[in-house]
Amino acid sequence: MKKLLSFKWLLTLLLVVITGYFYSKDGVITSSVVSTALIFGLPLALAAMVGIMCERTGIVNIGIEGTLLFSAFVGFFTASATDSDFYGVVAAVIAGTASGVLLAFMSISWKMDQIIAGTIINILATGLTSFLYKQGHTAPTTSEIDIPWLSKIPFFGQVLFMHGPIVYIGLVLIFVLYVALFHTSWGLRSRAVGEHPGSADTAGVSVFKLRYLNVSIAGAVGGLAGAYLSLELVGSWDRGFTAGKGFTALALMIFGRWNPMGALAAAMFFGLTQAVTNQLMFSQIVKIPDQFVNMLPYILTIVVLAISAGKVRPPAAEGQQYEKEQA
Amino acid sequence: MNKRITGGVAALALAALGFAMTPASAAVKTIDESACGSAGAFCVGLVTDVGKVDDKSFNQSSWEGAKAAAAKAGGFSKYIETLDPKDYASNIDLFAAKKYNVIVTVGFLMADATAAAAVKYPAIKFIGVDQFNGSPAANYSGLIFNEDKSGFIVGYLAGYLTKSGKTAAIAGGPDTIPPVRKFIEGFANGVAYAAKEQKKKFAKTSTVYYSGANAFNDPAWGATTAKQYLSQGYDVIFAAGGKTGNGGLAAIAKKKGAFCIGVDTDQWGTVPEAQPCLVTSAMKNLAAGTASLVAQAKDGSFKGGNFVGTVAAAPYHALASKVPAAVQKKVTAVTAKVVAGTIPTGVKQ
Repeated sequence: MKKLLSFKWLLTLLLVVITGYFYSKDGVITSSVVSTALIFGLPLALAAMVGIMCERTGIVNIGIEGTLLFSAFVGFFTASATDSDFYGVVAAVIAGTASGVLLAFMSISWKMDQIIAGTIINILATGLTSFLYKQGHTAPTTSEIDIPWLSKIPFFGQVLFMHGPIVYIGLVLIFVLYVALFHTSWGLRSRAVGEHPGSADTAGVSVFKLRYLNVSIAGAVGGLAGAYLSLELVGSWDRGFTAGKGFTALALMIFGRWNPMGALAAAMFFGLTQAVTNQLMFSQIVKIPDQFVNMLPYILTIVVLAISAGKVRPPAAEGQQYEKEQA
Repeated sequence: MNKRITGGVAALALAALGFAMTPASAAVKTIDESACGSAGAFCVGLVTDVGKVDDKSFNQSSWEGAKAAAAKAGGFSKYIETLDPKDYASNIDLFAAKKYNVIVTVGFLMADATAAAAVKYPAIKFIGVDQFNGSPAANYSGLIFNEDKSGFIVGYLAGYLTKSGKTAAIAGGPDTIPPVRKFIEGFANGVAYAAKEQKKKFAKTSTVYYSGANAFNDPAWGATTAKQYLSQGYDVIFAAGGKTGNGGLAAIAKKKGAFCIGVDTDQWGTVPEAQPCLVTSAMKNLAAGTASLVAQAKDGSFKGGNFVGTVAAAPYHALASKVPAAVQKKVTAVTAKVVAGTIPTGVKQ
C-alpha cells in the first residue's frame, strides 16, 4: 500500500514538473493540451462513475456503452425537436435513468445473469437507435461558459474554467459521488451491500431498494455523459456514435480501483495521453508512423496500470444475486 | 452476422408467390432479387465498407449512384452493410450466389477481396469504388479519383481564407490509405501554393491521422481534436474521414470565425450541423462515377482497368459572402488548371 502511494505521487509530481516545463516553453500549446485532456477524459470519467455506482452495490454493469449511446441519441433528438439544449440534456438524463432502471429490473427483480442483462442493454441501444435514426437533423448545443474572473487565470483558466456547462456539472458530480460514497451513511450502506449483502440486510438495510436506487442514479450519470457527447462535445449524433467509450470506461473503473477519484485520475491520464499523442502528430517534430503514435494512449495506460495496480479487488458481492433466505 | 436482413424473408416469400401466379417472362424491369440471373434482368449489388450506407459520405454517394443507374436501366439494386473486414469476401459471395450482374464494392480496403472475386466470378462485372485496379481482369474496373487535386483546390482556398496562417487537416484513417493521404497532402500543398502566390509565410499545414479500429467512426475523437486545433489558433481546418471527420466539422461549427472544409461529397446537405463553418468540401464525384460505370456495364462498354472519376470543390452555399469575389475568381481559375494538370499538385501518387 505504501509503495503504491509513493508511485502515485511520484507520477503526479512528474506530470506537474513536465507540464510546468512545457508551459514555460509554450504556454498556448501546453494549456491547449491539458485542456484537451480534460475534454477527452471527462466522458470516460463520467462513464466510469456509472460502473462504480453499480459495482459498489454489487451489480455488474457492462451496458454502459448502450446507456451512453441511447441517452446521447435521445438527448440530441429531443434538443432537435424542442429546439432547446436544456430539454435535450434533461431528456438524456431521463433516458439514461430508464436504462439504469431496466438493468436493475433485469438483474435484481428478474435475477438474470448480470453480464447478459448488460449485453441486452448494449444490443437494445444499438438496434433501437440505428432503427429510429433520421439523418439531416440539427440541434442547439450547450455553449461554452467562461467563468468570470477565474477563466482569466493563466493556464488554469483555460484548462478548468472555459468549458461547457456539462463539464462543470460532471466534475462537481464526481467529487460529490466520492464524498457520498465514502463519507455518508448512504455510501457506507451501499458499499456494505456490495461487499456482503447478507450482513447489510441483517443490519436493517434494504438490499433490494438500495441496489435499485444506485443502479438508477448510475443510469442518470450515464445519461449526463451521453448528453455531453452529443450536445456539448460534438453537436451531432450518428450510428455507433460512442465508439466503445463505455468499455474503455470499465477498464478505467478497474484502473481507478472502484474509487471515483481514482477513476477520474485514470480517465484524465488516458485523456492526457490522447492529447499528447495528437500534439506529437500536430507538431511533426518527430516522424513516427501514425499507427504507432495512435497506440500510445493504450500502451502508456497499460504500463502505468501494470506498475501501479498492485492488488486490485472488486467488491465481493459483485455479480451475485441476493436471495434473502440463503443469506 | 454479416448481413442486415431487410425484410428479406418476407420479400422472398412474396416473390415466390408472384412467381407462382404469373408465368415467368423476360421482364424489362427487374423488380426483385429472385429474377436476378434470368434473361433481361439487371441486378446491381453494393457492398459497403465497414460503416453504414447512410454515412453521409462515401458509402452513401456510391450507393446513390449505383441505385440511380440501376433504376435508369430498369434494374434492381440492393446493398449489404459490412460489419467486419473479415466479411468482405462473404458479402460479395452473397450477391454472386444470387447471380447479380454487377457488384459494387466501396472502399480502398476492399480492393483485394474484389480482385479475388473478379477472378472467381468471371461472368459478373465488378466496380471497385476508390480502388486502384492493378489486375488484368476484364470484368473488374476500379473507380479512382485524383484526391490530391480535390484536396489541392480546397487547400488553395484555405490559403486565402486563413487569417492566422495556421491551417490544419484532420484525417480519419491512417496515411497508409492512399486516398486519405492524397487528400491531406494535396490540401497542404494547395495552402502552400496560395501562400506563395500571396508572398506570405505560413507555417506548414499541420496534419493528424487517426488509425485504429474506429478510425472512420469516432466523432468524439474528431470533435476533440478539432477543439485542440482551434485552441491553438488554427482557423481553417479540413476534416476528412467518415464520421470522425464529421464530428470534427460539427465541433468547428461552434467556433466563431473558423472555417471548416468537408470531404468526399458536398457536406453542406449531409452534415447540416456544420453549415456555420462549412465553406466548401473537397468532392469526388462518387455518385456520377459509380453511375457511369454501372451504365457501362449495362450497355456493354464496360472495360477492365481503371476509370478516373471527376473531382471538384463544392459550392460555397451561404458562406459565399465570406469569400471575397476576387478569391472566388482565383479559385475557379486554379480549379481549371489543377483539373487539367497544368498546376501539378506535387503529391506522390
